[in-house]
Amino acid sequence: MSDPHAEPHTVDSLREWLTNCVASHLERSADTIDTSVRLSDYGLDSLYVLSVAGELEDHLDISLDPTLLWDNPTIDALSEALAKELAQYA
Amino acid sequence: MTTASPATRAQDPSAAPLERLTRLLGELTGPGQPFSPEALAELDRTEAFPTEACRALDTFGLRRFYVPVEHGGALESFDVVMRLLRAVSRIDLTVALSHGKTYLGAAATWIAGEPEAARRLGRRIAEGTPVSCALTERHHGSDLMAGEVTARPAPDGGWLLSGEKWLINLATRGGLVTVLARTDEEGGPRGFSLFLVDKSRLAPEHFTHLPKVPTYGIRGADISGIAFHDAPLPEDALIGRVGEGIEIIVKALHFSRTGCVAMSLGAGDHALALAAEFVAQDADGVRLAQDPYVRRELGEAAAGLLLSDAAGLVAARSPHALAGEMSVVSAVAKAYVPTEVDDLIARLLHLLGPYGLLRPDDPHTGFAKVERDHRIIGIFDGSSLVNRSALIEQFPRIARGYAKGRWDAEGLAEATNPHAPLRPMRPRELGLVSSGGCSIVAGLPAAVGELRDLAVRGHASTALTTLAGQLLDVSDRLHQDMAAIRFPPRAVPGHAFRLAERFESCFAAASALHLWLRAAARARGPIPEAALLACLVKALTDLEEPVDDADRTAFDDLAEAVLSRPSAPFHSLLDHVEPTGSQQGAAS
Repeated sequence: MSDPHAEPHTVDSLREWLTNCVASHLERSADTIDTSVRLSDYGLDSLYVLSVAGELEDHLDISLDPTLLWDNPTIDALSEALAKELAQYA
Repeated sequence: MTTASPATRAQDPSAAPLERLTRLLGELTGPGQPFSPEALAELDRTEAFPTEACRALDTFGLRRFYVPVEHGGALESFDVVMRLLRAVSRIDLTVALSHGKTYLGAAATWIAGEPEAARRLGRRIAEGTPVSCALTERHHGSDLMAGEVTARPAPDGGWLLSGEKWLINLATRGGLVTVLARTDEEGGPRGFSLFLVDKSRLAPEHFTHLPKVPTYGIRGADISGIAFHDAPLPEDALIGRVGEGIEIIVKALHFSRTGCVAMSLGAGDHALALAAEFVAQDADGVRLAQDPYVRRELGEAAAGLLLSDAAGLVAARSPHALAGEMSVVSAVAKAYVPTEVDDLIARLLHLLGPYGLLRPDDPHTGFAKVERDHRIIGIFDGSSLVNRSALIEQFPRIARGYAKGRWDAEGLAEATNPHAPLRPMRPRELGLVSSGGCSIVAGLPAAVGELRDLAVRGHASTALTTLAGQLLDVSDRLHQDMAAIRFPPRAVPGHAFRLAERFESCFAAASALHLWLRAAARARGPIPEAALLACLVKALTDLEEPVDDADRTAFDDLAEAVLSRPSAPFHSLLDHVEPTGSQQGAAS
């Protein structure tokens, strides 16, 4: 269960978390990640992003269809899509 | 978790068609028949397609089992079609691959689930049209997203398909071909779509068959290719929606990989039977079977087959019981079983000496043909390397589920009790990655606890609980190592593959333990444990864990059981604990 005292996720907080997550996978600093660039352009290929989906599920404590990461190939698009997804749980 | 239903043995739903097919295959192996050793050896020698044998399977109605009930066929339970294909593979792998390909070719349409398209395909299969599945291309192998075959929207509706698919089973003989094609120039996971191509609706100038490729084994199989030249496809050739090709095919591979496992098990059955017959016979007054080394090796090979069977049985039930975990289960089973069967064939070949290498028409043995034919299974539908990569990508999920003690108890109970009715398959529940890690292995600590409870009641030996405890220790350490694996994209560290192999062994051993525990629960009393002991000893041996020499005598006990009926060795752990009428034997 998610912590009821936790801050609700916003598009901005999701974008920040995703940027850090992607940066850690790429072993580089978060400020070098452009959130409008396709994840595949950073080398996160279509199978690899599926493991990112697992981390997202843990972070948000929801169950996600990992193809959300295929349909929303940038951090910006993904943040928006996740915010919508989370709104359904609210 | 046990159900409250009466322990009386429920009618095994797969029994009737399996018994009918087994009986028929027995008749068809007679002199002059399509499955006779001479006929099959001749097809192998001349690299000819097993047309007669496939026709006999058509007459039996095997095709009906490739079509789900809801689309007009007889396929209700995946493990039934797996057992039927295993029975055919036990006689000849080339025939099984050639005939069974139709199921694998159709799987994408079943998963996409569009009722009208599925009914249409069901009808075509029933009429006898073979279905192929064309994914790979000459220069791209397993890298499906590098594929260059392209479908463009046609000016007046429908699609135009161009490009070449190569190394495709049934590419020439298939009347229908499921084709993965690029529909977005950019490619990517949403850049491909699937099409069901009906050759009978294409003019000859729109496609060319490529020549049959001579192969090391399965020499009679139609391994060829097909090139499309602006082939016009109607709108309704599209399977699913545009851009869903990769997603659907990854899910279809969950089924076809499990299908490869069933065929591999059949080849393992065949090899063990040939070897057991060979060592049991008198040669110049000497029976090889009396030699302790021979018995030990034969027993270890049989233990490898029982472990493979346990993993395969659970995998075949999982599309129903643990559908959300199929991405793990199918990858594990496809990497593990063909490797284990290749190993046992090599072990047995050693016992046969020169007789293992004779041509298949030699009266002694068709062993060399089994060895050759089986080698392809480890490569088909994603090599072991590809499957282990798919597994490694899911290490974090698996390790997390294990650490948190999280598993699907209901699904696990259904997957590991062959007498439990299977829930209907729901393609919607299949996922690209496992939703819940791996219940089979995550349920191991509880299973070992259950075994210890049985030991307290005198229904399990100390030897058994000790080995199971040792397996649990290995599994605990392994999951810590798996959790520690981190890697940047496209840089899977080499030792992760070793961990994947160890996970596979744990999966197989856990499957065997679960199956045994469910059988013990049904029996409500002590059941024979020799076969399970042999499985655990074999798994720990494969895991390079220390095993007492006294424990290795479990292999000798297993050899004894096999040699008592050399022409019909036990195929399954369950044959040892609950012998049925047709499989009754001297189980220890």
